[in-house]
Amino acid sequence: MFFNSFHFAVFLPIVFVLYWFVGHKSKINQNYILIVASYYFYSCWDWRFLFLLIFSTLLDYSCALMIEQSTRQSTRKFWLWLCVTINVGFLGVFKYYNFFAKSFAALLRTFEWHSSPLLLHVILPVGISFYTFHGLSYIIDIYYGRIKSEKNFVDYSLFVCYFPLLVAGPIERATHLLPQVKRRRKFNFIKAREGVYQIIWGLVKKIVLADSCANYANAVFDHYNSMNSLSLVLGAVYFAFQIYGDFSGYSDIALGTSKLFGIDLLRNFNYPYFSRDIAEFWRKWHISLTTWFRDYLYIPLGGSKGSKWMMVRNTFIIFIVSGFWHGASWNFIAWGLINALYFLPLLLLNRNRRNLDDFRLGINFNSMRTLVDILITFSITCFAWIFFRAKSIADAFLYIRRMFENQNFTEQYFTIERYNYELITLVLVFVFVEWNNRHAVEPISGKYSWLKLSLCLGAIVALGVFSDYKEFIYFQF
Amino acid sequence: MKTFIVFILKIFGLLLITMGLLDLLYTTAYLQSAQRSKIDYLYNSKNKKYDVIFLGSSRVNNHFVPRIFNDKGYKTFNFGITRSRLDESALILKMMIERHYEIKNLILQVDLNINTNDHSEAIRSLFMPYLHQSQTIRNHYKDIPEYDALLFIPFYRYMHYDGRIGFREMYFSLVHKRSNALDNDGFYPLESHPGKMIPADLSIYYPKRNHAYEEIKGLCQINHINLIALTTPMCKNTINRDYFSHIREVYPEIHNFENAVTDDKYFSTCGHMNKSGAEAFTQIVFNAFFKTKSNP
Repeated sequence: MFFNSFHFAVFLPIVFVLYWFVGHKSKINQNYILIVASYYFYSCWDWRFLFLLIFSTLLDYSCALMIEQSTRQSTRKFWLWLCVTINVGFLGVFKYYNFFAKSFAALLRTFEWHSSPLLLHVILPVGISFYTFHGLSYIIDIYYGRIKSEKNFVDYSLFVCYFPLLVAGPIERATHLLPQVKRRRKFNFIKAREGVYQIIWGLVKKIVLADSCANYANAVFDHYNSMNSLSLVLGAVYFAFQIYGDFSGYSDIALGTSKLFGIDLLRNFNYPYFSRDIAEFWRKWHISLTTWFRDYLYIPLGGSKGSKWMMVRNTFIIFIVSGFWHGASWNFIAWGLINALYFLPLLLLNRNRRNLDDFRLGINFNSMRTLVDILITFSITCFAWIFFRAKSIADAFLYIRRMFENQNFTEQYFTIERYNYELITLVLVFVFVEWNNRHAVEPISGKYSWLKLSLCLGAIVALGVFSDYKEFIYFQF
Repeated sequence: MKTFIVFILKIFGLLLITMGLLDLLYTTAYLQSAQRSKIDYLYNSKNKKYDVIFLGSSRVNNHFVPRIFNDKGYKTFNFGITRSRLDESALILKMMIERHYEIKNLILQVDLNINTNDHSEAIRSLFMPYLHQSQTIRNHYKDIPEYDALLFIPFYRYMHYDGRIGFREMYFSLVHKRSNALDNDGFYPLESHPGKMIPADLSIYYPKRNHAYEEIKGLCQINHINLIALTTPMCKNTINRDYFSHIREVYPEIHNFENAVTDDKYFSTCGHMNKSGAEAFTQIVFNAFFKTKSNP
């Protein structure tokens, strides 16, 4: 069941009515309704993986209690590592086993030792990367005494399986979500309206922007051998907007849906393509994952403390692991590595925390410089996305080589019966809207909200892609 | 909560009004357009008289040159549409009858398309703007699963078929941007491609009785149209040419022309001839069934 499906459009109102009209009198009822709804939501992909989700919930819940009850440090450590090993083990088996087996076989082949690796024929349980990280953050926080373990299993289960964030985040923290789950939610019209606006804006991003860009980006990336330079440049730009519209659109729908139930989720995107350097980009892109890696990997590794060499090492580790988290492929590792390389000069020159402030543009030199910085950051981000989107690293290099060598910057007609430039107007309109609303959560609230709402609804039905249904990209991670 | 329910109802109302207005805009744009596709040309024409028309898929669109017939005194138009199947050909013929066309001869391509009774979503979409206006189109599609939604939910048909009749096509129709679909009396010539011809493999095909073809035969009989059903050329390396002899086992009246032109120099791809091939083939078909009129 996808957020942009008819199934979800029926499911959500039913859960909403049950939640506010049947279960509204107590927190327990509200939580039970959300758990049943969440398990149903998850089982729509494959009911068998529901056992994995329940097992993961039980494991984290029990280990957290054991850690808290243990007085000896070694016992606490044992429960922590048991929980981490099993969680990461599941992730490893489902997501990474085949990759390692194939890579190892390929390595052996270089020594002329031919082997046929034993591969697993299992599908990746949807959302496993998200709920595993979700549980890991909880157990690590318990171990370090940052939070108290949750005694109420129902409340804890909801924290893990809450359907708006179950399959593609945001990766929540116990400190943020659990307190909300532990009290009865009262209906708040302002919050619910904001949620509806955010859902509609998320649908605009997904169905109008991302899915339109996907058609063009696929046409370019799937036939890059016959594309000219302009098409290849535009292909990378279209993919940049596809993945942004897809994932931030999903996040908006998740946050908006959750607001309908009176629960706030962590913000996942903050207009990342208006970043002035790559460090700022990473503070604004997939925020819940970036901060997770910062808190549970970068800082335990030493973070920014210690020598320059340690900082550089930690930065490379965090970016490569972040890339690998996206998928078991060398492409994602290369993408992470490229971003680490982008980050390196900022780190060495102590400029990685330079652009923390807000900015406004005027007609002056500083504004021009800011604009140029934004364009450069966006360009290098697009360049890195080529590695993310290409089928293999070799394809990515061939794509880039052709982009520079072809030197033909003219119109080109794609097999999808569209010219390469046709989507630029839509992308520019989207950028204009985002730019003018970059201090808001969504662009519909405020003055003339009904007019803006009708424009968004009009855009969804008139410009949306309905005939060629596309799943959310991040569901595969 | 009451305020919220009213708010949601207002959004649904707004959505419905938006869809209604968009439906009106799109339909108006398509109804006044007659130079974007063969379907809108057909819908916006009436009482046309043709000596010969061609119907079929790209193997008609790219293979029959009406000029050759026109030069010899036969008023001719190529109504072949790339990707269409016999189901759409039948509907085009029905629309012609609805628009009071007078047709003497219909040359219908019946070869690879007889392998299936299915339809083409891409071409079906081109009829959708006229769903409310044309009884013929409604009757043709009344049994498809999404018929009620297409007919009664405003704008649903444009969302369902957004790739072909969505915003882009509506905009071009609105500004009367002409496409090349109607150039050369409907014939779209292909160019030769360098490199080796990749052979077409027909071993997965098997001709079956086709409802749409039989419907076309019936329509021609009732409306006194001389139906010439024929196969069209494939390149010489085609795998399983026996497919064409099997066609005659199912429908003996179909004329075999798959070998009329076979030399690779006449082909753009194995299943589609280039301009020279199309001209040569059209001449062969003309010679087989027609004579030059004394006063062209």
